[in-house]
Amino acid sequence: MSAPSNLRHTQTARPSSPHTPQQAPRSGNTSFASTTSPGSTFRNEDDAIIFEIGARWLRAGFEGNGTPVCAVGFGPEESRRVGDYRGWIQGAAGNGPLPKPLDAEDWVRDYELWQPDLRKIDLGLLEDKIERLFRETYNNYLLTDAGSSRLVLTLPSLMPHPLLSSLLSTLFSRWRFPSITLLPSATMSATAAGLRSALVVDLGWAETTATGLYEYREITTKRSTRSMKSLQQEMGRLLSCLETGEDHVAQGKDVISVGFAYCEEVLTRFAWCKPFAEGGEEPVQSVRTVSIPSPRNPAQEFIDIPFSRLAEPVETVLFATGIPESELDDEEKTIPLLIYKTLLALPPDARGTCMSRIVFVGGGARIPGIRKRILHEVSALIKTYGWSAVRGKAIERQRQRMEDLRISSLSIQSNGQKQKPPAGKNGESPAEDEKIEPSQEEPEIDFVEQKLRRQNKDTPVPVQGVLREVESLGAWAGASLVTSLKLRGMVEIEREKFLQNGLAGATRDSEPPVPDRRSGLRAGDRSSWTLAGWA
Amino acid sequence: MSRPFPYTYISCPCADTPVPDPARKRRSRESPQKPTPERNTETSEDQGETKQPNEKGQDEDEDEEQTFDPRSPRSNFSLYPPEQLLYCEDCHQIKCPRCITEEIVSWYCPNCLFETPSSMVRSDGGRCGRNCFNCPACTAPLAVSTIENVTGNSSGQGPWVLSCSYCLWTTLDIGIKFDKPTNIRSQLQKMTDSTTAPTFDARSRQGSRAFGDLKSPLSNFASIDEQSNAGERDAEQSSSKEDATPTPHLGAEARFAALKNFYRTQISETSNSPNDPLSSEFGFSSPGALNRLMSLYASSSRLSGLYGGNKKPKSKPPVMREALTASEGLRIASEDTDTALIERIPSSDCGWDGVASITQRTEQSPDVRFVDELLPLPVLLRTKRAKRCKSCKHILVKPETKPQSTRFRIRLIALSYIPLPTLRPLAQPSASSISGLGPTPDLNALSPLRPYHVLLTLKNHMFDPVRITLATPSVTPGSVATKVTVLCPQFEIGANSDVWDEALQNATAPLSDRITGMRGGEKVPEAGKVWEKGRNWTTVVLEVVPGTLPGTQAEDGRASDIDIAASLQKDEDVLEIPVFVHMEWDAEAQLEQQNVGKASKPDDLVARELAYWMVLGVGRIQASL
Repeated sequence: MSAPSNLRHTQTARPSSPHTPQQAPRSGNTSFASTTSPGSTFRNEDDAIIFEIGARWLRAGFEGNGTPVCAVGFGPEESRRVGDYRGWIQGAAGNGPLPKPLDAEDWVRDYELWQPDLRKIDLGLLEDKIERLFRETYNNYLLTDAGSSRLVLTLPSLMPHPLLSSLLSTLFSRWRFPSITLLPSATMSATAAGLRSALVVDLGWAETTATGLYEYREITTKRSTRSMKSLQQEMGRLLSCLETGEDHVAQGKDVISVGFAYCEEVLTRFAWCKPFAEGGEEPVQSVRTVSIPSPRNPAQEFIDIPFSRLAEPVETVLFATGIPESELDDEEKTIPLLIYKTLLALPPDARGTCMSRIVFVGGGARIPGIRKRILHEVSALIKTYGWSAVRGKAIERQRQRMEDLRISSLSIQSNGQKQKPPAGKNGESPAEDEKIEPSQEEPEIDFVEQKLRRQNKDTPVPVQGVLREVESLGAWAGASLVTSLKLRGMVEIEREKFLQNGLAGATRDSEPPVPDRRSGLRAGDRSSWTLAGWA
Repeated sequence: MSRPFPYTYISCPCADTPVPDPARKRRSRESPQKPTPERNTETSEDQGETKQPNEKGQDEDEDEEQTFDPRSPRSNFSLYPPEQLLYCEDCHQIKCPRCITEEIVSWYCPNCLFETPSSMVRSDGGRCGRNCFNCPACTAPLAVSTIENVTGNSSGQGPWVLSCSYCLWTTLDIGIKFDKPTNIRSQLQKMTDSTTAPTFDARSRQGSRAFGDLKSPLSNFASIDEQSNAGERDAEQSSSKEDATPTPHLGAEARFAALKNFYRTQISETSNSPNDPLSSEFGFSSPGALNRLMSLYASSSRLSGLYGGNKKPKSKPPVMREALTASEGLRIASEDTDTALIERIPSSDCGWDGVASITQRTEQSPDVRFVDELLPLPVLLRTKRAKRCKSCKHILVKPETKPQSTRFRIRLIALSYIPLPTLRPLAQPSASSISGLGPTPDLNALSPLRPYHVLLTLKNHMFDPVRITLATPSVTPGSVATKVTVLCPQFEIGANSDVWDEALQNATAPLSDRITGMRGGEKVPEAGKVWEKGRNWTTVVLEVVPGTLPGTQAEDGRASDIDIAASLQKDEDVLEIPVFVHMEWDAEAQLEQQNVGKASKPDDLVARELAYWMVLGVGRIQASL
């Protein structure tokens, strides 16, 4: 017998063994007690502070809390000089129409902390922004001394190294954080939904990512540039058109003349998504009209527009309505297609598990109706194509030919008469019978499976193979949950080690020997650290 | 800029020292051996291009030859109004909020000025635990008041509400009344508490299980859909009926608590090893750990082989499972909520004002979407913080603990060490009136290509005289090239001596000086000469010739101002002059040093110097000539 099985063996005896009572859940205010009382010796007893940081928003709060203490956005107001109170004098910037139409990219630039395209980023400026952002978050909302307790950062698993390096070196050199733990946001979102495997769809700012998770591991990630940023720009174009009085958004028009904040306000309040319409019937809501502040003078005037127009940007940006799939580039797949492709890339077992655990997170998930619509479209895709990546006319023809072959051989056998090669197979019943795809067949009765199932009667059978959406509390809550359970992150960067070598000090090994939780060893001596998924 | 012209900003010298990136350091150490291998590899051209200017920038930083550019986006983070800066006496350096560390002295509510003990801050969520609330709609403070029209008297009877005197929002709008006018926070918490676990029925779980039984891992959605649609509907119907009641109440916090509970039990059920996350700190102290070790040796592979080791373990180790029911924190998205939202948003009783704005929502729990879901916000606490120098840990600011007190025990503000710069325009010598002063120029509309004289006064607050050297680029950076000349770049400022000294000195000073001082209008700015000088201040003249804005045609100038303003980048028309200030003075050596050494000698002085960039905001340049 091998050693691992022995370890397993010992496990079985465990339930009967004497058991230390579990430690009582720690009360919320230990961090303050520990600073004053000499009794506690662990510095780690301080509640860790969790930050979720993205291109537009930052959420911060304490471990073990369900909701972050604050959510802070970035905008031009946040990068003003100290003592420059223009924002208060003139009213929030970006409300009124712009003096001059701006290019859609320039329009959003001031409002994002970073862009995926690092060529345009001044990292020094980014460091300045991060420093101010964290300092003000600590001073205004967290109300604790910065740097005294552990810091947990929830980051997307694909983060450019220069950005990560800037972020970490700013935090380490500015404050005395003993260590910074990185947690992948997709996994945290799944954790916050109570799941172990999931397909996490993050409708984020710069891009939409669909991440297939199986047992907390990221298996595949696919991304698309159809995201909230382009949605915001599209909404900006729509409102600019309303301002100038044009009826429809002109193609190729790429300047925006309305304020960013105004546009975002319209987007978050009124953007919606039409339900999936197979027959093309219009939903009732679209005939309604709503009044929104006029783009010309948002402070005083209102204009009436049909509610359906506010669904247009969502249609064009996220679903690419009216554009055939073949026209779409690889990085601009529509969201349903993105999800379908991600599921397709998963191994069948994982696919079955993940497709009934779809989690939507990110700002776009708040748009009413969008999640339902996406799921409907995905299921329509599955219905049409099954789980096959092969498309195209050639393959259609080939399949046709194969069918013909079979049918013709059949017909030769039956009445010895040749049949015309192509066309008109629809009416024939034998063809219908043969055409059933393997996936649509009645699954064979698997005796092993049945026996297994009979054995573990009390363990519930997980839901599999149907499209189902599970709601998550979001990556921040997941990180808070994980941290409060005292699970150690894979990537825990200690101050001294980072300050010696920076990111370059991380071991290249992206999969370090995972400390077996059951073997009783502490999670290694941590003499070397890794960036795991971020490497 | 928002400050009225003219204004002055001081750039903290810490901006020159970039954030040390350890990796960058290492890279540069490695680079001599292998000279930029990235350039040769297939990395795109652009990367190389962006890298080069960066390197160049760094080199220039090292040489310290770069002129400070007030227009660069980074300068926004290093420029501070002079009165906001601190000074560290040990490092002899200006300290800005970026180069200090802060420690919280006390927490207090800005509304009721009650101090919150540190142990209470976290449990109160960093917010006031009394009756202080802000309006969720407009953020104005809320007042506790009675519903007078209900009882008809204002004797303090009857239910109480929180009401906003600015936007007239009351808690009645969200259907909340309070029994007592005190302890509103806890009353509110009780009413809105979502953490109480909803009553739970096992039926929904069974339903989902039965549903799950139908599925095989590889089954296709479509086929299953047809087969089990009926079953699914039933299961969902039953579960949704039950869930429909708890789900809306199961707020984010409650779900989080449920999830946490679930994970906790899962962990304790599945892991019996001492590496149990809760006891991991305590090593082998638990009997479970001992037992595990013992059995590890007892049933080593050989032994178990001897003594019937091939007997199968009776059951597999329990595996952590995922949350399955709503009480464990699982929430299956329901189809109807979104439909109801789409139905509600355009309806006449909701509309634009019925949906909460972004600013309203950021303060609330993440589920909130409509205005009638907004809850009153307890006032965020504020802190009094002591500040230390980041490099030498010296205390720079230490406020008194009491929230009511505005006094400081220690406060080393920079203005007591560096001269206070003030700027004012010099009345233009007008040709028309010979004797009188011309009008002072309108700083919000400086006409380009026309010389202006600006008086820069530096006022010394130290008790030692200071020698100042000013330097400025002859042409301001940016697209609007303004010519700047400091007429007297080197001068001295007197010590901040007793006020009486000045009076006495002035009495003995020749009268003519004072007379010329009074008739300042007739004075002509001269190169190399100080304009005016007092006890502890000196004024020099800057000659400024504003440049033309891009797009201004010198000849026709017909393009309307609005067009030009629109074509400008933000604040490009603001005339800001970077000035490099270098100050030298002979300070008395520190007291302790004196005592350690010989008896204090008059020449026991230490030469000190300080250099920093300063930005003078002169005015806004007019578009037309």
